[in-house]
Amino acid sequence: MTLQILLALSAILFAFGLAAILSRSNAIMILIGIELMLGAANLNFIAFWRFSGNPSDLTGVLFAIFSIAVAAAEAAVGLAIIILVHRRIQSVEVDDASNLKG
Amino acid sequence: MICESLKTCFDDPGKFLGEWFVLLPALVLLLAAAAAVVLRNLIHATLCLTLSFIALGILFIALGAEFVGFVQLLVYVGAVAMLIVFAILLTRPERLAKSDTALSGLGPAGGALAGFVTLGVLLGFLFTSPIAKKSLPGPASAPVAEIGHALMGDYKAALIVVGVLLTAALVGAAVLAMEDKNS
Repeated sequence: MTLQILLALSAILFAFGLAAILSRSNAIMILIGIELMLGAANLNFIAFWRFSGNPSDLTGVLFAIFSIAVAAAEAAVGLAIIILVHRRIQSVEVDDASNLKG
Repeated sequence: MICESLKTCFDDPGKFLGEWFVLLPALVLLLAAAAAVVLRNLIHATLCLTLSFIALGILFIALGAEFVGFVQLLVYVGAVAMLIVFAILLTRPERLAKSDTALSGLGPAGGALAGFVTLGVLLGFLFTSPIAKKSLPGPASAPVAEIGHALMGDYKAALIVVGVLLTAALVGAAVLAMEDKNS
């Protein structure tokens, strides 16, 4: 097994997330796409750590842990904003939240 | 004999079960992520996303990063997936059919095109890079004790910052989602 397989997997995962963000208008689906992209980034950290040949250097692992913590905070605030927007305009479509549109 | 093979399994799961221990969760991860993106029903998409989180956690464990794998399972499968399901239930749209199939300005073709272009660029770099051709080095593991020492040592400032960030984010999320009594 080479590093290539894991990096290709991570690239495909990232592309899936990007496609979900750009093609869906439901805010929750956009959040799902963001989570997929964050997972791809974490997979990259772990893959590079595993293939570095120096596993006692824990930088990759620790970066992945911090990244998961930040992603959890992001998901909590994002979903709270979605709930707030739904309370204001009775919709979770990003196209409907266009009050600032000129 | 069994003891010996069990020890190998714990020391280096990848070696014990062969490459399938990595490739099988990778395959599940790909299929579940594709389903999560393609499915129109929000609940189905969330369940597929949860399955992809589980596969990603198992993949981390198979690669030797047990702690990150278990954190992934606890935080994503246990908390984030639950949070998304809660948000879907709380924002249950009146026009369910419209909401589930609605697409943004770019549409599925635009989204797929953007995804393919990004994938092409990434894979192009990947297949020409010499670093990506590295083969698997010997067994690797990240012992929890060492991770703890690193977190309390070199990374203590980052740990405190993440703690403050999480506290602020959770308090902020609670304040945002709180019912406004005055209005």
